[in-house]
Amino acid sequence: MIVAKNISKIYFEGSKKEFYALKNINFEIKKGSFVIFKGVSGSGKSTLLSILSTISKPSFGEILFDKEPVSKYPDIHASSFRAKNIGYIFQSFNLFEDLTVFVNVSLPLIPLGFSQKDIDKKVEEILTLSNILHKKDEIVSNLSGGEKQRCAIARALINNSNTILCDEPTSSLDYENSMNFIKTLKELKESGKTIVVATHDPLFFELDFVDKVFELKNGVLVE
Amino acid sequence: MKISVFINLIFLLLHKQKTKYISIFILSTLTIFLLSTVIFIKSSLQNEILKTLESHNDFIIQREFGGRIFDIENQLEDKLRNIYGVKNITKRVYGRYKFLSEDVYFTIIGVDFSNLNKELKNLGLQNISNDEMIVGFEVDNLLKKYKYTNYYDFFLPNKEIKKVKIAKVLEKESNIISSDIIILDINLARDILGINRDFSTNIAFDVPNELERTNIKQKLQRLDLELNIIQKEDILKKYETIFNYKGGVFLILYLVVLFAFIMILYQRYSQVSINERKQIAIFKAIGYSVRDIIKIKMSENFVVAFVSYLFGVLLAYFFVFILNAPILKNIFIDFSNIKNDFIIYPYIEFSTFVTLFLFFMVLFLSSVLIPVWKISAINPYESLR
Amino acid sequence: MSSIFLSNEILIFLFLQTTIYTLLLISFIYSITILRDWDFKKSTVLQYKLEKRSYLVILIISFSLFIKILLFFYFIFSIDNLSHFVVGAMCAAGIFSLEYGEISLFLKLTNLFFIGIWFVLNSLDLKRKDYKYTKIKLLLFIFIFICLTFEYILDFKFLLNIPLNKAVECCSVIFETSSISSKIPFGLVNSSLILILYILFVLIVILNIQKKSILLLFFNILFVYISYFAVTYFFSTYIYELPTHQCPFCMLQSEYYFIGYFIWSALFLGLFFSICSVVFYRNNSLDIYKFYKLSLIFTTIFVFLVTFFVLKYYVVNGVFL
Repeated sequence: MIVAKNISKIYFEGSKKEFYALKNINFEIKKGSFVIFKGVSGSGKSTLLSILSTISKPSFGEILFDKEPVSKYPDIHASSFRAKNIGYIFQSFNLFEDLTVFVNVSLPLIPLGFSQKDIDKKVEEILTLSNILHKKDEIVSNLSGGEKQRCAIARALINNSNTILCDEPTSSLDYENSMNFIKTLKELKESGKTIVVATHDPLFFELDFVDKVFELKNGVLVE
Repeated sequence: MKISVFINLIFLLLHKQKTKYISIFILSTLTIFLLSTVIFIKSSLQNEILKTLESHNDFIIQREFGGRIFDIENQLEDKLRNIYGVKNITKRVYGRYKFLSEDVYFTIIGVDFSNLNKELKNLGLQNISNDEMIVGFEVDNLLKKYKYTNYYDFFLPNKEIKKVKIAKVLEKESNIISSDIIILDINLARDILGINRDFSTNIAFDVPNELERTNIKQKLQRLDLELNIIQKEDILKKYETIFNYKGGVFLILYLVVLFAFIMILYQRYSQVSINERKQIAIFKAIGYSVRDIIKIKMSENFVVAFVSYLFGVLLAYFFVFILNAPILKNIFIDFSNIKNDFIIYPYIEFSTFVTLFLFFMVLFLSSVLIPVWKISAINPYESLR
Repeated sequence: MSSIFLSNEILIFLFLQTTIYTLLLISFIYSITILRDWDFKKSTVLQYKLEKRSYLVILIISFSLFIKILLFFYFIFSIDNLSHFVVGAMCAAGIFSLEYGEISLFLKLTNLFFIGIWFVLNSLDLKRKDYKYTKIKLLLFIFIFICLTFEYILDFKFLLNIPLNKAVECCSVIFETSSISSKIPFGLVNSSLILILYILFVLIVILNIQKKSILLLFFNILFVYISYFAVTYFFSTYIYELPTHQCPFCMLQSEYYFIGYFIWSALFLGLFFSICSVVFYRNNSLDIYKFYKLSLIFTTIFVFLVTFFVLKYYVVNGVFL
């Protein structure tokens, strides 16, 4: 279970430009649930998601994953936690454009200490599941939008993590690819993974398998 | 991280960032090349000279008085024979003869053709008669320039002219020191140099038993106060010191070059493109810690430094020992007298490589420490948007 | 001409020492600022900045101290090379007998121990999630830095005062044993010295298996002390195969295949890991048995190496020296 306690994030602290990106956020996310953070651009969704994934640290408060205070961990342990337990899908995919699909997907496994043989096996499995095995040696910049998305999904799933975080995943996709993506998320939820999506795409708001919707307005959680 | 997987990653990343590292690589290679070349030349020359000196006699005595060197009387040989432990007493005659047409000096060496030692036999001196000579190749070139194709007329101090035929010309390779010498019969040498037949330039001898050398030196000094006794070990140490001194001066100057290199390195690495920031941010987002990224970057730099070290050293080896180091070999050899062209023989000690390696790698990696940290510690969130 | 030009190796050594010292100075300054404001409980911007800076400090310190270890070996090697053209010296012993020589060597050795402890402490700290050892680590570094400053000054004093013209003593003079003056402690003769050495070794093995860290450390120190004399006055004669050649430094030269580096390193590593087992005994996360094992392994390697030369001589020649 993911717990957020009094999360606040201040930028430019102490100067004239100081502002609160997040203010006193509190919530709980049960294991295996599908949660949406709704809000317009600049409402703090991405900031919240980056704190949740331990990429950023909060100015105040803490994040607990199954009672572990991950937001307070030193970088080495936070990164290790992230590598093992979190899969992140970015708005603009954030893939390495000049590397192949295979390499992109295999990267998260390297800090975890797998041998090359194990890595190859796992990558092949996940590429098959994501239906992109036929493009495994293709340079990412040559892929279409939908293919890049499948590559990003594969990378997020490669470490067999239980938590998937998605930041505006459908903002650069057309309707068909967006629906494909939502279908994938549904399958993942049914397999027991915890899914958190930060989005303002209305496609997500009518789904029947959503467990909870949080709304963020100017950095504050609105019920 | 598993080592083999990590290495694969490093080489993949290096391959993708070729353009970034290529200028650093070229600069590093040139820096190493410069330093290695000078060190190779120095150690090769040092070794040549030391090898030559090794085969010399243990002691040389000259007559010295009032700070001036005089010819030494041959009778001293008998006194020397009486000292226990002294072997291989040789009278030596040599000096310089001014070749007026060019205002340079030839080195005249007098040799007793009936009593040759092994080294001189190797030069092929057995069949030379007493009015023939063997010349170094530069001497030969000079003489030919003035139309003396196979003989030369020496001006003796007593105003006579002595014609001496050239029996043999020494080749370029025989020795560093040989290009300006003339070897001829010892008495003929005495005549040319104006030394009385009962005298010699100096007398040399060996003392095979190391422990006796101090005793014998003291005995001789007590025997005759006007003798100047030179021990081979002293000469060896003097040469080593001179070589190291010249090497040290070069090193100090080189440090200025190195300093500039480090500044360039530091600057180059401190500029981080937006693309690179994004790359590091992506790495961090997928679970790479700051430590992992530092490891990756330092390894990349290590590989670049190491490969440029290898290239620099190999290029230097090729330049010095195969191309014979044009221009640069002048640092160590004095060219005020006759032009002295010679071949540099490959001689390098393992310790030279270790020194070069340590020196270069430590400097290179030290200068990239702070830039590597700067780029590894960036805040990933901003760069990911 | 100044004696700094004595050898290119010394020049490069001093230059590298300066470079490393500069890096350590930077770390020193940053360490002070980190120590002053460090508070793990807070999650302020300042704290995060300090954490980031601590990565830089750890990076520089790890790199510099590692190079320091390499430079120590290079130092020994350069001094050995110097002996070729300092009048009278046949190996490093002659050079070290000069002013500041022995204390410089001794200080370097003790600094190596502290550096080793720092690396172990650092790896412990990185494994923890609560920065428990960060402050101690940085304080230890500050202490090490002060020691290294002394070492740096001594380097210059030692190396710049090596005489070019005066003769130094050769190892056969420094390490001679005669009936009148013997440098071996307690007035022991060689045979008793060796007997004590092997008895101590057996004792160390037993204590190691019993895991009695403090007693073990005491006897390890005694063992190292006795070993120094045993190697210099007994075992070295078997390495050089000459009964009158007694010297701890000549075995570092290439003609003896640099065996000296292995022998002395094994001895000191044995002592180092024994020290670690005492210093870190309270720590729970580290497998302290690893230290015991390593200490025993290296001490055994040392004993094996020195005994090997004695046996080799006996097997080849049929007699002892």
